[in-house]
Parts: sequence; structure tokens; C-alpha cells
Amino acid sequence: MSAAIAGSGGALAKVLQRPAQGLARCSHQQYLRLRAQRPAHARGLTAGTRALQKKYTEDHEWIDTSNPESAAIGISSYAAKALGDVVYVELPTIGTSVSKGDAIGAVESVKSASDIMTPVSGEILEVNSVLEDTPGTINKSPEGEGWLARIKVENVSELEGLMDEGAYKAFTEEVAEK
Amino acid sequence: MITWNRAYRGAHLSLSQRRWLSKLTLERLATRPVQSYISTSNNPYLNLSLEHYLLQKSSPESTILLLYVNRPSIIIGRNQNPWLEVNLSLLSPAPRAATNSEPELAGSFLGAVDLVRRRSGGGTVFHDEGNVNWTVICSSKTFTRDKHAEMVTRALRSLGVERARVNERHDIVLDQGERGGDVVDGADMHVTPFTRQNAASRPLKVSGSAYKLTRQRALHHGTCLLSSPNLNVIPHYLHSPSKPFMSARGVESVSSPVGNILLENEEFMGAVQKQFAVMYSESRATELQEVGLEWLENETVGKGYDELNSLDWTYLQTPQFNVSNAADALASTDVQFTVRNGTITAGVLRSRNNSAFSQLGEDSVGTRLHEIAAWSTALPRMFTGVDRAECDKLATWLESVLPPSHKTAGHS
Repeated sequence: MSAAIAGSGGALAKVLQRPAQGLARCSHQQYLRLRAQRPAHARGLTAGTRALQKKYTEDHEWIDTSNPESAAIGISSYAAKALGDVVYVELPTIGTSVSKGDAIGAVESVKSASDIMTPVSGEILEVNSVLEDTPGTINKSPEGEGWLARIKVENVSELEGLMDEGAYKAFTEEVAEK
Repeated sequence: MITWNRAYRGAHLSLSQRRWLSKLTLERLATRPVQSYISTSNNPYLNLSLEHYLLQKSSPESTILLLYVNRPSIIIGRNQNPWLEVNLSLLSPAPRAATNSEPELAGSFLGAVDLVRRRSGGGTVFHDEGNVNWTVICSSKTFTRDKHAEMVTRALRSLGVERARVNERHDIVLDQGERGGDVVDGADMHVTPFTRQNAASRPLKVSGSAYKLTRQRALHHGTCLLSSPNLNVIPHYLHSPSKPFMSARGVESVSSPVGNILLENEEFMGAVQKQFAVMYSESRATELQEVGLEWLENETVGKGYDELNSLDWTYLQTPQFNVSNAADALASTDVQFTVRNGTITAGVLRSRNNSAFSQLGEDSVGTRLHEIAAWSTALPRMFTGVDRAECDKLATWLESVLPPSHKTAGHS
């Protein structure tokens, strides 16, 4: 995914907004954005929420950590934008055992075949067959309906090394600046 | 000046000496920061495997150029459908009698044409001795889709091809028509003095690009039509009679009018090598390292070669598609197949005159389409209780739309 991101030529750098330097001198909108970037427990969310809890890799993949027995994985909005219109998705085979970083599928866009890596080790339980008929779903909703597969996480400790939403957002801004 | 006709270097060495030399040399070469290679082979499976080896094994920050020329072959994209993109019955080495509808094919018989599915995306192209292929592999951090298309365009312009530019699809085209009045920036590879908004004639495509992107590395390869003797027959190879009868997932080719640039292969390769050296080499001059068949002894190259050469990779990678003769007004029986991973997963025959129908037999589910030797024997086995005459009519139709394996050669 990283190669595809770099290929977009840095145009996204201008699109991404930078948060204000200090809380004291920012607008209400910026204050709300900064507040949203603080970790969930500081924002007072309860532990029992069924909302997707996403963590991200440096290769711009996400994994929903709310249920490691069957965790949805996909590519981030940032990656989907950089890829361009997806015309075909190659999904993994159900039942395959994979290791963290293995290529589990590929996406084709703008004549490019881009590998998709799995963020964690485990077994592929399910694939999103909607993508077989409508690969463009990845562009419309990369972090929702455009999920790629569900994986049974073999080693929950692998999740700890991944970035939360705030850290990932900062990471993408850094990447865009390069 | 690059000399093309060197003797096969490894020939005088013993097998074990060659293996040792091969292993040591490859691994050492793949770590250098800037590498330029030229292939001595015209085997498309080998050349694409060399590319893939370099993509997988070269050091993450290195930049690599590879130049090669293939014998006549058709290269389809990773997610394409060979039955839809290629007239498969033309690939066999048996001479074809000219028919009234294809007089161009008489006398310009190409012999066996290879069929190769590459690992990058994009559409279908025809390679022959008048087409030079160029590949640049670089770090994903510095990759853009236009960067090396611009490099090749600079090479072309340095040889006097002032009409060449990179278009919005990252292809290289030659603008047609008269020179325009406006002054144009010579350093801009996306516009020429001949570029017009509403040009009288479309630009001619001379180079197509495709890409393979992995975690750390980006591969960009492209063609360059210099002097192909086959421009008038290529459209026959790339037009499939099954198009009206298929609905397919996957990627379809975008057709463009093409033309020859009319340069010698060596001239072009030298110019590309020079531009590559200007961009990446501190000394401004790098030698072109020869690579060829001897690299097959490397385990990784060999494995990649076997995979590309396999019928499984070529045919079973095909995205799902349906075949149906609904568009054939003359048929008296409807036939419909669903093909998934290159195997028939469902099928039905249905009479257009009465309510008779027959489902694909259980035993036939999973039949590999590319392994069917003759429809006249396969069809009655797949469907029971069908009138023999109807079966024969359908078999004849299927022979032209899904040519059986004895008619389609295409692997070395």
C-alpha cells in the first residue's frame, strides 16, 4: 500500500488539515478536533461499546479490534484515495493461515496491481463478496462497507503494536509532508 | 554502443561452475544502489521472471533498469480474461488457411505465439522483435506513475522524436498533425509543439504502462513500438470472437490506435540507458549487465518462471465470467456457463422451442475450461438427455467462442 500512497505525488498534503499548535489559541472547531484525537478512555467512552475500534498499520491497513475472534480488516481512507478508482479486488481464500505482513490479496487501480498485507497473523474466516461485484465499494466506504476480510487473530499481542486513530492521522500527515 | 549479438557466455562453463557463478553474481548484483540490465533472451516467461526476481530480491533503496525484447507473444494483465481479450484459436503453431474475412493473415503467418499473464495490472499488449520493453524498479517512497514514462519520453526526444509525450493514462503517444503556433516548454514531457485540444487526428499510442506495487518497492514496465512488422495482424489477435457472448468481472483492455516510431532497437535502448544514468548514477555512466537463460538456475527465478509458464496461472487466475449464446439469434437451444477460477461451476441448456432443459451434471462441475479438448465429446458428457443434433450444433458454436485446447498452444 505504501508504494501506491507515494505515487499520488503529495497532493494530499494540501488537503489534510493540521491541528492548531496550542489549545489556548485555536477556534472551537479546532478544539473539538483535538479533543477527538485523545484516546477513547479520556473522552469518557464506556468499555462495552460495540462501535468499531480501529487500529492502523504503517502500510495503511486497518483492523477492528473489538472482537479478535473475528476481526474485520481493510484499507484506510487515506490509502483508498491514493489508489484511485479500484477496478478489481483479489480476495484471500477462506481458511488460509496467514502471518503478519503476508500479502493476502491485491487491488487493481490505474493499471497497478497493489499488494494488500494482513496487519496480524491468523486464519481468514470470511471475505467480503460485495467487492467481487462492486470493487468501487472500496473507494466509497473503505473503512465501512469496503472491508476486505475477517480474520481470527492468532496472537492478540500483535494488536498492541498498531496505531490508534489519532496516531495514524499524525502518521499520514508526516508521510504526506515527505 | 551496445552490441546485441554476443555469444551465450555461460556455454563453455560446466554446470556446477555456472551454478556457483550464477548464485554469487546475482546476490551481489542485487545489492548495488543503481543497476542496469539487458536480457539476452527473447523468452517472455524468462524476461518477466527476471523482472519479478529483481522486484523481490533487490535492496529496498536500489533503482533498477531492465531492457528486453520478446519473441511474438501476447501479454495479458493480471486480472484479465484470455478468452475475452485474445483470439485464442490463432495462437496454435498449425498454419491457418486464409479466409475471405481475414486476407491479411495469409502469408504473414507468425507461427506459435506465446500467451503470458503478467503480474502487473492493466490491459493486453502484443510483443514482437520490433517492440522493446523497459522496466524500472525503485523504492516505493520515490515512486510516481509518470516519472519513468517521462524518462523514456526524454530518451525518445533525444533521438529526434519530438512528437512524443506522456498522456493522462501514463502512456506515451505521438501527436499527429501540424505544428501549432504556441511556444512550448521543452522540459515538459506532457506536451509537444503538435499537441492540440481538438486535434484532427488522435495521437498514436507507442508505449503502454503497467505497474506492480509491493510494500517497499514499485515496478513500472512499459512497451515501446519501434518497428513491429505485425501492426496489420495484431488487431486480429487481440479481437476475440467471444466478446458479444461474455459478461465478465475483471479488467478490460482500452483499445488505442498504435504506430511505429521507426527507430532501431539498439538506438532506443542506448538512449533509455543514458537517461537512466543521468537520473540515478553519480558517474553518469553505468554498464548494462547482461542477464539471460543462465539465471534460470537460481531457485527464485526458476520458481517464478515455472509459475508464469503454468497453465494454472494463465487460465485459472481469470476473474469470474458468464458465457451465453443469448445474442446468437440463429441458435435453437440456449447454452449458459458460469466460469469461476477458470473452471465451470454451473451450466444449463434450455430449448428455445419448448420447455426442455438440462443442468450441468455434478461430475462436470469443476471442469477446467482450458483443458477441454473437444466440445463435441465434452458437451454430451456434461449434459444428459439432450438431442444429439442440438448438442452438435452447440458444440460447433462453442468451438469458435471457447476454442478447445488443441487449437490454442502458447506455452514453451
